[in-house]
Amino acid sequence: MKRRLSIVLAALLLVAVVVVIVIDQRGEGEPDARVVRGVIGSEKLAFFHDKRVIDVFAKHGLRVEVDPAGSRQIATSVDLGRYEFVFPSSSPAAQRIQRDRKITAGYTPFSSPMAVATFEPIVALLTANGVIRNGQLDVAKYLELAKAGTRWDQLPGNTAFPARKNLLITTTDPRESNSASMYLAIVSFVANGNTVVSTEEASTKLLPQLTKLFLDQGYTQNSTEGPFEDYLAAGMGKTPLALIYESQFLDRQIRGDGAIRPDMRMLYLAPTVFSKHTLVPLSDNGDKVGQLLTTDPELTRLAATFGFRPTDSRVLGQVLTEKGVAAPPELVDIIEPPSYETLERMLDTIGRQYR
Amino acid sequence: MRKLLAIGLVLALAGCDSAAPEPDPGRPLGPPQPGVLRVLAGSELADMQPILDEAAKATGVQVKLTFSGTIEGAETLARGEATGKFDAVWFSSNRYLQTQPDADRRLGNQVKIMNSPVVLGLSADAVRRLGWEGKRVTWAQIAEAAGAKAFTYGMTDPSASNSGFSALVGVASALAGTGAAVNADQIAAITPGLTEFFSAQTLSAGSSGWLSDAYQRRAAGADPGEKVDGLVNYESVLLSMNADGKLPQPLSLVYPSDGVVSADYPFTLLSDAPDDARSAHQRLTDHLRTPDVQRRIMDQTRRRPAIPGVELGGQFAQRDLVELPFPTGADAVDALLSAYFNKIRRPSRTLYVLDTSGSMQGERIEALRSALIALTGADGSLVGKYRGFRGREELTLLPFSSAPAAPVTFVVPDTGPRPELDRIKAFAGGLKANGGTAIYDSLTRGYQLLGQPDPAKFTSIVLMTDGQNTNGSQYATFESAGRGARIPVFTVLFGESSQDEMNKVATLTGGKVFDARSTPLAKVFQEIRGYQ
Repeated sequence: MKRRLSIVLAALLLVAVVVVIVIDQRGEGEPDARVVRGVIGSEKLAFFHDKRVIDVFAKHGLRVEVDPAGSRQIATSVDLGRYEFVFPSSSPAAQRIQRDRKITAGYTPFSSPMAVATFEPIVALLTANGVIRNGQLDVAKYLELAKAGTRWDQLPGNTAFPARKNLLITTTDPRESNSASMYLAIVSFVANGNTVVSTEEASTKLLPQLTKLFLDQGYTQNSTEGPFEDYLAAGMGKTPLALIYESQFLDRQIRGDGAIRPDMRMLYLAPTVFSKHTLVPLSDNGDKVGQLLTTDPELTRLAATFGFRPTDSRVLGQVLTEKGVAAPPELVDIIEPPSYETLERMLDTIGRQYR
Repeated sequence: MRKLLAIGLVLALAGCDSAAPEPDPGRPLGPPQPGVLRVLAGSELADMQPILDEAAKATGVQVKLTFSGTIEGAETLARGEATGKFDAVWFSSNRYLQTQPDADRRLGNQVKIMNSPVVLGLSADAVRRLGWEGKRVTWAQIAEAAGAKAFTYGMTDPSASNSGFSALVGVASALAGTGAAVNADQIAAITPGLTEFFSAQTLSAGSSGWLSDAYQRRAAGADPGEKVDGLVNYESVLLSMNADGKLPQPLSLVYPSDGVVSADYPFTLLSDAPDDARSAHQRLTDHLRTPDVQRRIMDQTRRRPAIPGVELGGQFAQRDLVELPFPTGADAVDALLSAYFNKIRRPSRTLYVLDTSGSMQGERIEALRSALIALTGADGSLVGKYRGFRGREELTLLPFSSAPAAPVTFVVPDTGPRPELDRIKAFAGGLKANGGTAIYDSLTRGYQLLGQPDPAKFTSIVLMTDGQNTNGSQYATFESAGRGARIPVFTVLFGESSQDEMNKVATLTGGKVFDARSTPLAKVFQEIRGYQ
């Protein structure tokens, strides 16, 4: 009897809840948050998981859920059926999705230049060997050493890091990750006599040299968080030079969590490219996410606290000043990546060498 | 107000307390939510169970581990057999998996949990003898000392266990000395150096656990096998052995100055995992990577933290380790493994004592035939490729019933092994069952046939029987003859064989018992290959 009574009571309660909710939805107040699912480059994961970011979206009736994936994976192998927007880390990957799906819309709310995370002893060593000039890594000089297969222990006067390992920047897997393709954009430009690679002939000629930069590293990880985390946690022996987005390093500095130790340095590449984080909407809700990221001042400011450069460059400067982090130097040597087709062709050719 | 009322009613109905609106500093990830993750994992992760139990309390996510070797795991993924059965994989590394394109494409979000390099642990005596105290040595120096028989060591089978595989790759990369990842074309050039290094490997095992136990037992004189000077294994395993305090003298860890290959334990969601597994994976890995849990992992399992900001304990004598480049493709890995088994490591001398008594008739004799035939290359799997009879192996098959039958010996050449493998196959296919069961007369005959074991070879016996001893001498006679001291016997429980006696034979000889009563005989025979 007792049991029956509790069932009846539970049923009554349930009815009451439904009634109240229905009434509530018809009345004033915020609509219940709609779930919008997106697939993003992993370096933006922390941003989307941040409570303040979640709250801003909630104010606009959205609950954004994201899965991380390599930007090339997003463009090629991820099943996009379950997502309402994609947010790869660069314009070439976004262009591919736009083209494949015949979408014209796209938002570039923020960007970040490519940089190298390293350590003070390495900076001193590479400065002495002419690879670092004016505090920036001279890609032409670096390519010379890499082309000759120079090992660390072959650098003259190297007592700081005499590893019997090639002097190579640690990248991610060029078959899967955006930062590796941004790196290819830089090194192909320099190897091509400081000209953006635009012909098949040029890329064919350069590819043997460029392929070595990836294959000689051996196994590479598929997301840029991987090498940066190794850099932070395991140190110089594992990752003396890690290719990163500037945002990754700034983010840690802004957080001030002690992860950036006193001997850690960020170097800019000369020349470098900007990775333009580009959102491509796959539905109306996805489009709303793109709009908000571009126009909402709170989201723009929050993006800057994660080290990204919003379209209005002053926002990052303000955040850095507030947090007592040194402002990045003025970058003048900036190049554009090759066209999507050229970049893809080169990446595919390199990918086929992984046997 | 209506909203509040609704919330109140929902809470009354659910009968639970409200979710905290602000994150609780003691529980940064919020309240636990029920979830289960089915995980295909490397067996060495068994030591994470206490941490996972604590994690289940904190996050609500239960982890169900199913153990598998890395290569077998890659095969399970590549064949699509993990779909619907597992939500995630967790091996010591994804590097091998990613050389297999069909396995690679099933991997989703990878979250590294901890780190441990594969290094050489040597008894303090051996380190002193070698003059390596307080010195850094290179892999080439280690290989040279090994080639000069200055020390011996044990290592797991690289096709069975990641520690052996990492060591093989590490020493190959270091000996190639190019500073770049080793490729298939370089294997021939480094084979002499590798042969030197592996000539000192006197102990092989299919599992890291058995290897450590065998080392410990031999060091303590509790096992008839010859003492071994050291082990190639994860730093975490070597440190744990020292901490257990069961070794007569602790192991000194030798970190080769030219670098190591490390395990990084990526907890990897499968790309087709359902949504609730996705969020469970996120919650669990977030929890495992909090500084407190990372510290606990470091203290309890002696693996290094994966995140910055957790200070390394004093037990990690060498902090900054150079990581050797790892080959990128299946070709390089296959060339290395094939060379290791068929050309480089000590050759095997293997004797199978096989029960062909009347009780084996029917399915049982058929299982025995096909288990042997699988080892002649009939098993087309990734793992099977490295577990068959190897180049340079001397194999003797000794069937028995009421008495030992005539033994047949085969020698597999390191090039063009097919004709000899076909002869083994034909012999195995012709095995017939009838008569009684003379286990100990036959085992004794096996020992006579092998004679004094050649120290340059892995010599071992497999004893497979499906029943009790009915003919000839008894176990007691075998025991008192003291033959066991020289050659390990790997016993196989099958049918109605005596578990007690098979245990005794394995213990007496420093071997191991394998159970083919619930596992297919072919799989057991394949597993034993890791120890031969």
